[in-house]
Amino acid sequence: MPESATGVALNTIEVRFTGGMLALNRLLMTLQNKRMPVAGFTLGSDSDGMRATILLDCPPESALRYTALISALEDVREAGPAETIEVALIETSRDWRELAEQWGVEAHEDDGTVVASGEPDKVEAFLAAVGVEDAVRVGPLARPKSGGGI
Amino acid sequence: MENTAFNIEYKPRTGSEAMCEALLDEGVEYLFGYPGGAIMPFYHALPDYPLKHILTRHEQAAAHAADGYARATGRVGVCVATSGPGATNLVTGLATAQMDSVPLVAITGQVGRPAMGKDSFQETNVMGMTLPFTKHSFLVEDPDELYPAMRRAFEIARSGRPGPVLVDVPKDVQFGATNDNGYRRLREAPPPVESPGLERAAMLLRNAKRPLILAGHGVTLGGAEMELRLLAERTGIPVVTTLLGISAFPDDHPLYLGWPGMHGQASVNRAIDRSDLLFAVGMRFDDRITGAAHKFAPGAKIIHIDIDPSELGKVIKPTVGIAADAKAAMRSILGHLDNAPHEGGGCKQWREELAKSQEPERRRKESARDEYGPIQVMEAIKAAAGSDLRLVTDVGQHQMWAAQFFEFTKANSHITSGGLGTMGFALPAAMGVAFAYPEDPVWVIAGDGGIQMNIQELATIRDFGLNIKVAVLNNGYLGMVRQWQQFFHNRRYSETPITGPDYEQLTAAYGVAGRTVREGDDVEAAVRWAQEQDGCTILDFHIDPEANVYPMIPSGMSVNEMIEEDGA
Repeated sequence: MPESATGVALNTIEVRFTGGMLALNRLLMTLQNKRMPVAGFTLGSDSDGMRATILLDCPPESALRYTALISALEDVREAGPAETIEVALIETSRDWRELAEQWGVEAHEDDGTVVASGEPDKVEAFLAAVGVEDAVRVGPLARPKSGGGI
Repeated sequence: MENTAFNIEYKPRTGSEAMCEALLDEGVEYLFGYPGGAIMPFYHALPDYPLKHILTRHEQAAAHAADGYARATGRVGVCVATSGPGATNLVTGLATAQMDSVPLVAITGQVGRPAMGKDSFQETNVMGMTLPFTKHSFLVEDPDELYPAMRRAFEIARSGRPGPVLVDVPKDVQFGATNDNGYRRLREAPPPVESPGLERAAMLLRNAKRPLILAGHGVTLGGAEMELRLLAERTGIPVVTTLLGISAFPDDHPLYLGWPGMHGQASVNRAIDRSDLLFAVGMRFDDRITGAAHKFAPGAKIIHIDIDPSELGKVIKPTVGIAADAKAAMRSILGHLDNAPHEGGGCKQWREELAKSQEPERRRKESARDEYGPIQVMEAIKAAAGSDLRLVTDVGQHQMWAAQFFEFTKANSHITSGGLGTMGFALPAAMGVAFAYPEDPVWVIAGDGGIQMNIQELATIRDFGLNIKVAVLNNGYLGMVRQWQQFFHNRRYSETPITGPDYEQLTAAYGVAGRTVREGDDVEAAVRWAQEQDGCTILDFHIDPEANVYPMIPSGMSVNEMIEEDGA
């Protein structure tokens, strides 16, 4: 059976910033200094600079306030809400392809393990429908874009 | 390169010269600093520019002096230090400025780039060290980046919610040639104020029966004293201030009530407790104001205006939250109000109730004027210095007494370290105030603990002939800590008794004047004497060792748990 959902609403903030390690250091220091409830942190970089996706375990109003705080950092060019995805690694003997398409979940098989990802509620529904024998849930995670670190 | 036609030799500017020109372009008049190895190129260039450098006796004092100058003038204060210990000594000053949103630019020398990261002599990672309490910081590793870095540093320091900015410059970058051909200051456009909340705020102000305006430091920082007064007078709503908001509204105005919080007036704390609307502007609901946040102003709708959007909802969830400059927001709200004064409803009755509730405090203050102690000292200073007085207080019991019993009628005339509560702040900060306003009387009120933390600045004060008067309220204790020990630690006075120097001998050694004042001495005469002396004087007032600050709301508690003086 899949592990039960945590029941915690996670808010995701995507932060675009320049300034390299010093800027990253300042961002991390701000997360720690303001005691933001960080549940996940991924980092990537591309030609536009660095991108951090931060999962915050807090109500949406608090996430908005934290976003305002992060936005005020000089190195930050952009900060705002981002999408999250659920990722699950499952073993199943059933035909998962049709159910994945039905529930709008992206899935592929790798060495006998099905890797499914998508919006958390859709993955949830897919897992319930497919009847898994074993599962490891990786998410929820920030949806990776170009330069993503997932 | 040489221009033979005019016999003018052109040479590229060095990084240090670029820094000085940037400071001039920013309109900087005073720098407070202390030289050392890694900042020597800057100090080499400095005499060629019309910048006035004030050599303090400690880097912490340089930061506080720049802070005092910035608080008094609203301009960006500048301090300078070398790498390593020079930079680490600035840290307390930067944190003090950050907590109270004071615009500073701190310039530090750094070891040369080839020496960085190798534990070189006097190398510290000052950038990393100060990340939590600077608004921003720069490590400038290219001489060509010095112009834009300085430009941005000043812009960042004064824009939005002001704060300290660090510019760390390696020694070889200061020596290096720049190719940049000019520095132009950027001016920030005033932040736009468009929020549906403004109209709603005006509506709430019109309809409230027991409203209060709670004004903070943001009113002073934003130069919004006039708008605050207009709003209060237009609506007839009583005004209370935070500790740092004191002097944003004249104490002698009939609508002024006082200030709330841990040591604020009991009547003001009770007024907030009973209010149905709190118009909080330029303040951040510090825990010293709210106590137990969930019990704070339980029946009030909250309008919260702050330039920093992350402050809205941080401690108290507002009914209406407006992220805006205090001046612009209040102007806009005034536009939404009718021109007629809003005297109707229960507001007039509310004012009468509040005036009545303040009677016992007024009587207590009157009766205490005849007793030797803090109130008598405050009264004497106010009388001798007059209404142009600028008062700088340190941190502790005397700070609370000054805030409680002084009457501030001049805008921005009360300067203190509120957020960080930095002992040792007052004397060097007063230097910044005195340089900014040499014609105004400047008094320092400090305890016998805090004054010793930066007492070395008497030498700086003497060198520049600053007319700073100092009143030390000497109780032989770290008084506020002792008071907490008395109330909450069963009078176990662990390490709070403290000795100090003989201030008459100390002041003589520094070449300034000093006197000791004890019970039975003529306080008014002593203060008058101090005021009439040329230059700095110190009055060492020996007061009751166990005098307490009342009232007191214990940390994390509410107005219901307020401790008041016997008989109150």
